[in-house]
This record gives sequence, structure tokens and C-alpha cells, in this order.
Amino acid sequence: MKSFLSLLIASVAINTELFAAEAGMPQLDPTYWASQAFWLILVFTVLYISISKFYLPKIKDNLDNRENKIKEDLENANKFKEESEAKLKEYDLILENAKKEVLKLHFESKSTLDKDIQSKKDSMEKEIEKEILKTQKEILELKKNSISSIQVISGSIVSNIIENISGDKLNESSIKATVEDVSKKNMNKFL
Amino acid sequence: MASNPMQQFTVKRIGPEINIVGVDLSFTNASLFMVISATVIILFLFLGSKEKKIIPNKLQLIAEMSYTFVAKMISDTAGSKARPYFPFIFSLFMFVLFCNMIGMLPYSFTVTSHIIVTLIMALFIFIAVTIIGFIKHGFKYLSIFVPSGVPAVLLPLITIIEIISYLSRPVSLSVRLFANMMAGHTMLKVFGGFVVSLGILGGWLPLSFSVALTGLEILVAFLQAYVFAILTCIYLNDALNLHH
Repeated sequence: MKSFLSLLIASVAINTELFAAEAGMPQLDPTYWASQAFWLILVFTVLYISISKFYLPKIKDNLDNRENKIKEDLENANKFKEESEAKLKEYDLILENAKKEVLKLHFESKSTLDKDIQSKKDSMEKEIEKEILKTQKEILELKKNSISSIQVISGSIVSNIIENISGDKLNESSIKATVEDVSKKNMNKFL
Repeated sequence: MASNPMQQFTVKRIGPEINIVGVDLSFTNASLFMVISATVIILFLFLGSKEKKIIPNKLQLIAEMSYTFVAKMISDTAGSKARPYFPFIFSLFMFVLFCNMIGMLPYSFTVTSHIIVTLIMALFIFIAVTIIGFIKHGFKYLSIFVPSGVPAVLLPLITIIEIISYLSRPVSLSVRLFANMMAGHTMLKVFGGFVVSLGILGGWLPLSFSVALTGLEILVAFLQAYVFAILTCIYLNDALNLHH
């Protein structure tokens, strides 16, 4: 619609007074064409030179700086991340080693303790055995002693009994031999 | 109507008459607004690139955004070969944009609403692109007029059409910008005139139109600068990368 309107206006303007500035289109009046061309070229040249020589490099610098800064920051962040990961790994390693050491220590102490207990137990057992042997010896001795004392006592009892029954005094040695004989035969039954 | 809607486009001399070898090169209101536009661009870029902050302030951000905007436009349309022409296209885009935008201010003058201005820019681009094409490809550049994959019968016709379309580039490029700017400003003026002539009772409708049109015109001012720059990139692409 707009272009149609402009066309209408333009055609009306051109038709009424061709190339006349006052009533038609001032754009088609060539009086100042040269001036406009001259000033356009001058102004645009100055603008182009100042933009291409000063401002665009500055803006480009700025943009590049920012991009570099962002890149650098990202790189730094990555580096820090890697570092922290390495530290974390190190930490894990230390922790693992510590755990291993704890286990080792635990095992060692347990084994020494076990050995200790074992040795103590062994010595204890030896002592007990010794004691048992000693007691057994004592018992044996006691047994022997008791046999001889029993023989003595039974000898005296036998002589007493015979004396009381017959009124005779028997020979001590014969009594002793008889008692010994009997006791040898029967002692195994009781002892 | 109170005043002629075309009057706003009149070029008037400011200051003394400058006459060099019979040619009138006087400083006019058109020249003044060219200088104002260029000054505003330089001021904007100066303030935008003054502080080299990692986190930019608003002005720096806008300057950097316009840089990346134009850079992206060039790399998208013409590829990496067009890199050396970036300052020119950036200057062109900024100049057209600021001329259009400053033209939107009341009582100002729109430099780009003059066919001579846009035609000179378009002709410069056309000639420069043609020269670049011939420098880069020699006479092989003429193959731009002979598209591949066209039946032999149609080839002469297509070639003629291609040549006409190539030669009409400066005309279409300049007239597009000039006509858009002139039409928009004329329309604003016409509706403004309606507001005055219809008075306090009937003037509200054209006034609201005027407000809406002002918004539209600001969009058009940006869009036409963008179109001008991107078409330059496309022409440059044709000269740099022979695709046919």
C-alpha cells in the first residue's frame, strides 16, 4: 500500500511539473546533485577511514580479549578440576593404604597375641605335666612306703593275734616273710 | 493542505556558496545531516570502544552487537573471502542506518531520501563489485551471465535477462532505499497535515495513524539499512565466489 501511495505521489509530482523543485520532487532537481555527491563522498570517506582504522580494530580487540579471557578462565577451571581430581585420587590412595596398614597391624597384633597365648599355654601345660609327674611319683613313693608300713603293721597285728590266741611268741622274721608273701600275692588287687 | 508534503525534501544552501570550476559544491542541509550522521556514528563507536571492559556497559554492548551483527551477516552471505570488505560494509550499514534514523527526528532531513545519494552509493558498490569480480576471476567472471544447466535453446535469452538483471542492480538498490524513505516521510507528512486540517474534533484518527506509522517507519529505517547492506554482501558474494 505504501509503495503504491509513493508511486502515486511521485507520478503526480512528475506529471504536474517535470523536474521542477518547487511543486514536484525536490530529489529530481539537479541544482545540488553535485554538492550532495561531493559531500557524500567526503563524509563517507572520512567515516570509512576512521571506522576501519580506529574503531573496528578496537572493538575487535575487545571482543578477542573477552573471548581469550573466557577461554583462559575455562582452561583454568579445567586445570583446577583436574588438580582436585588428582588430589582426590591421592587422598583415596592414602586412605586405602591406611586401611591396609590398619589391617596389617590388626593381623600382626593378633598373631603376636596368639603366639603369646600359645607359648603361655604351652609352658602352662608343661608345668602341669611336670606337676602331674611329680605327684604321680609321690603317689608311687607313697604307695611303696604304704606297702612296707602296711607289711610292718600287718606283721605286728599278726604277731599280736598269734600271741593272744596261742600265747606263744613267734619268730619275727618268719612272720615278716609270710606277710610279705601274702601281700605280694594280694597287693595288686588293691593297689 | 497547509504545506506541500514534498517540501521536507528540499535541499537548501547553508552558509556561503562554494563554487569550484563552475560546479556548485555548497554546504547544504543534506550535507549537514550527512555530517551529523557521521559524527553520531563516530561518537557512538568512540564511546562504545573507549572502555575495554570484560563485562561491557550498555553502549559498549550495542557497539559490539552491531559489530557481530554485520560480521555475521557478511560471513553468512559472502563467506570468509569477504572479510577484507567488512569495514566498508560496516560503514555503509551504519551510515545508511543512522541517516535513516536521524531522518525520523522531526524537522530533520533524511539524506537517504534523495535518489542522487543512494544512486552514488549503489553505483560505487556496483562498479567496485564488478572490478573485484574481474580482478578475482578475469574474463571468467563473464560466466556469471551464463547459468549452467540451461537448455541451449534458452541460453541466449537467459544470458540477455542475466545481463539486464546485473545492470539493473544499481538502479534497484538505489531506488529501493530512496523510494522507501521518501514514501514513508511523505506519508507521515500527509497524515500530519490531516491532523492539522481536521482540527481538534477529527484529527485524532490521523494522529493515531501517524503514531503507528512512526513505529513502522522506524522499522523500515532499520530494515532498509539491513537490506542495503545484505544486498551489497550478496553482490560481493557473486563476485568473490563464482557458483554458476
